Amino acid sequence: MQREVGTLPLAPALRARLAAAGFQTAQELLDTGPCGLSKEIGISREEALEALQVVRQECLGDATRTAGGAGASRKCTALELLEEEQSQGFIITFCSALDSILGGGVQLTKITEICGAPGVGKTQLCMQLAVDVQIPESFGGVAGEAVFIDTEGSFMVDRVVEIAAACVQHCHLIAEAQQEEEHRKALETFSLENILSHIYYFRCRDYTELLAQVYLLPEFLSEHSKVRLVVIDGIAFPFRHDFEDLSLRTRLLNGLAQQLIIIANDHKSAVVLTNQMTTRIGQSQSTLVPALGESWGHAATVRLILHWDNSQRLATLYKSPSQKESTTAYQITSHGFRDVQPPAVTHSTGGTELNPRKRPRTEEEKQ
Amino acid sequence: MAAKTLRRAQLSQEMCERLSRYQITTCQDFLCLSLLELMKVTGQSYYEVQKLLCKVSRACAPKMQTAYEMKLRKSVNPSSAFLSTTLHSLDKVLHGGIPCGSLTEITSPPGCGKTQFCIMLSVLATLPVSMGGLDGAVIYIDTESAFSAERLVEIAANRFPTYFGSDEKLLCMTRSIHLYRELTCCSVLKRIMSLEEEIISKKVKLIIIDSVASVVRKEFDTKLQGNLAERSNFLTRGASVLKYLAEEFSIPVILTNQITTSLSSGPGIRADLVSPADDLSLSE
Repeated sequence: MQREVGTLPLAPALRARLAAAGFQTAQELLDTGPCGLSKEIGISREEALEALQVVRQECLGDATRTAGGAGASRKCTALELLEEEQSQGFIITFCSALDSILGGGVQLTKITEICGAPGVGKTQLCMQLAVDVQIPESFGGVAGEAVFIDTEGSFMVDRVVEIAAACVQHCHLIAEAQQEEEHRKALETFSLENILSHIYYFRCRDYTELLAQVYLLPEFLSEHSKVRLVVIDGIAFPFRHDFEDLSLRTRLLNGLAQQLIIIANDHKSAVVLTNQMTTRIGQSQSTLVPALGESWGHAATVRLILHWDNSQRLATLYKSPSQKESTTAYQITSHGFRDVQPPAVTHSTGGTELNPRKRPRTEEEKQ
Repeated sequence: MAAKTLRRAQLSQEMCERLSRYQITTCQDFLCLSLLELMKVTGQSYYEVQKLLCKVSRACAPKMQTAYEMKLRKSVNPSSAFLSTTLHSLDKVLHGGIPCGSLTEITSPPGCGKTQFCIMLSVLATLPVSMGGLDGAVIYIDTESAFSAERLVEIAANRFPTYFGSDEKLLCMTRSIHLYRELTCCSVLKRIMSLEEEIISKKVKLIIIDSVASVVRKEFDTKLQGNLAERSNFLTRGASVLKYLAEEFSIPVILTNQITTSLSSGPGIRADLVSPADDLSLSE
């Protein structure tokens, strides 16, 4: 009620007039009433009424916030947060080593950034995640849908078909081994066609389309409430050219990061971004660092860097609030992202599509 | 999409006039401003500005398609998805050949045959679909002056003697290969920007740029400070236009690159840092 007029979300011209007329707090405005206001400032009665409604809404909002009401406020105790986090699922990557260094998989409500040189597997991982987010809950998945925003044009439908087919096959094998009713029911809706229909694809050609799409995302997500994953493949690409003014770029990127954090929290979905690497010319040598600069490094909560070591692909967890820094190896097979097969494990002939993860899983679930 | 004017985004006339006083005429200008700036410039309240933002965003945002729709569309027309190179083992490894609708890069040390490969692909692209070609014209941007028309005719005559038996078939083929000699980065970029109209008017089905690396390496010395950013700028700009052309017209785009030895990080030969292949931009 004591809120100053300058802080109210009114049109600037209106605010200027109110200040000139000597109004200082919201309470004064509400006391004057629409007719009085219109006479004093010289605006129509309808405009005055509208303005007062805005003021009232703001003050009511303030009141509930200060009184500690729920709803618009985003506060809760750490205990509530703990319970929420524990019941939250993870989006697995099908590479158990990678899942374990991430603490279970890609977390919901957090922004995960995947950086790497070209060809190392960033888009493959994104496509794998877009399929894995749809795994039904009875198989330990999140049963959500995915939004895929592509700025580089590297999304290959045929590849997603392969990955999805392998995932469905894997679930079928588990269901056969376990013979549980809920598995069978879940499998009825977990088909290739369904998986593909629940990946919503947007192709953004430049940063304007990307900005526009992110502004429209909250609306899209409230219409499609089952979406649990938003992938932006190539956040760096549209921002790396045509920007003479780097401060504008930083501002746009920060705005984008803010909106994505809000989206991740409000809709309980994971946001995955992929970034490119750039060379930083140091004193005597040049190193590869993630692109978009230092300030962008603060945007993501979890940072994963994929790189090569001779011919082995490695993933390093570079930044995480809950897991420690570690590196693990992975490989990309025709079925998607998988563990590197340890030499000791013998597996059956190449006819069936077994992957190294299958055996450990059925063993522990049989218990 | 970015250059779409606000008037076409269905903003009211007076709003457009008011914004144009601040030099905000396209959707791009509008979306680059923060909420406070927008409030100041439009003279509207916070909630009104958010509604305007949604309106403008809807005008430029891309259309949604599900992966299933994409798959159905692809399966309707499978044969036009690749340009077969007629080298069976290579086609097998590439799962069909050079893919249409995306950029392909060919890299090798000098003398391995990149330009020869490009010349052969130009011949293949002009062949009718029944013979595995694309039945269209070719745009060949040559930065090294390595293209030889005599070699082109030799390859065509020897590879497909029955088809190119008559002189007029050969002439027809050579007429449909449009060669552009560009010697600086700037002219290459200008040429790439102007390609859209040429593709439509000449019914082009293949774009070859031979080679990006030579013209970039001539002009940008990475040891100098500012050059890295400019080079990356040039490459990404070229890349995004080429990707747009490839996707829009569903044609293959081929770029050739050079190899250099990288002495800084360990032994072995790596593709030139300049080029698309590597980190900086094009290869994404």
